[in-house]
Amino acid sequence: MNKSVIALVLTLGLGSLASVHAQQAPAAAPAINDAQIAHIAYTAGAIDVTAAKQALSKSHNKAVRQFAEEMARDHAAVNDQALALAKKLGVTPADNGTSQSLAKGAAAEQTKLAALSGAAYDKAYAENEVAFHKAVLAALDGTLIPSTQNAELKSLLETGSKLFHEHEMHAEHLAASLK
Amino acid sequence: MFRSTILAVGLLALGCSLAPAFAATPATAPAATQAKAVHVIVLDKMVFGPMPTGVRAGDIIEWVNHDIFEHSATARDGSFDIDLKPGATVRTTAKAGSFPFFCKFHPGMTGTLVAK
Ligand SMILES: [Cu+2]
Repeated sequence: MNKSVIALVLTLGLGSLASVHAQQAPAAAPAINDAQIAHIAYTAGAIDVTAAKQALSKSHNKAVRQFAEEMARDHAAVNDQALALAKKLGVTPADNGTSQSLAKGAAAEQTKLAALSGAAYDKAYAENEVAFHKAVLAALDGTLIPSTQNAELKSLLETGSKLFHEHEMHAEHLAASLK
Repeated sequence: MFRSTILAVGLLALGCSLAPAFAATPATAPAATQAKAVHVIVLDKMVFGPMPTGVRAGDIIEWVNHDIFEHSATARDGSFDIDLKPGATVRTTAKAGSFPFFCKFHPGMTGTLVAK
């Protein structure tokens, strides 16, 4: 469990996430509930939609734009489903340290990307998408899915995991094509 | 989803007289009086469901997307490229041969359609 968090931290380069977890989770696995898991998954999806919108406003590369459209469409679909499920289950997604670290890291990344343009932007966006999907995938498979109690939420996260895997491969192809 | 299957079957039953319209496939097309078999391929949760067996050229393939995502069924040899929006049902006519296909948005999603 710790390993996947470390992987998340290393890949994303989120020092803040590392320190949060170092303080909060010394030895035992942190207890995480479905409301928090739902919030983390939703946050991850929302981050990628925001990044995709930025890409659509900045990039003129056809392959990059197609990728961004796919990200925005797919992650919005999962998040709509997650909200509907939370409502049905009477669960209010609960903000937590992991969600906050993800959001903080993503905001920093967005600022960095905003300063770039043209081919440099396209390349940085694609590479960040690879890292982001890898990190979230590790967290989903390593921590979030195994900790999920509700069967419907687990099933949605499992679909989400397949989706993140596909997106990661797509992002890798995209990044390689931009080299 | 159940309803759409019933509707589809109903339409097919009613549509015997329409059969010639589907007989786009030459030579092997069955007699117009004979109802064509419908084979359903269901997509859900980022996977193509089981492939139909016993498909004959001229049969109807019904692609049903139960997923929340847009997918495609895109033949590797380019012989078909079907866009499948969430909730969509698309019908195509089977051609003889073995057709590996994938989803162009999520290329890890694959299948092979075989018709005799
Ligand atoms: Cu797909």
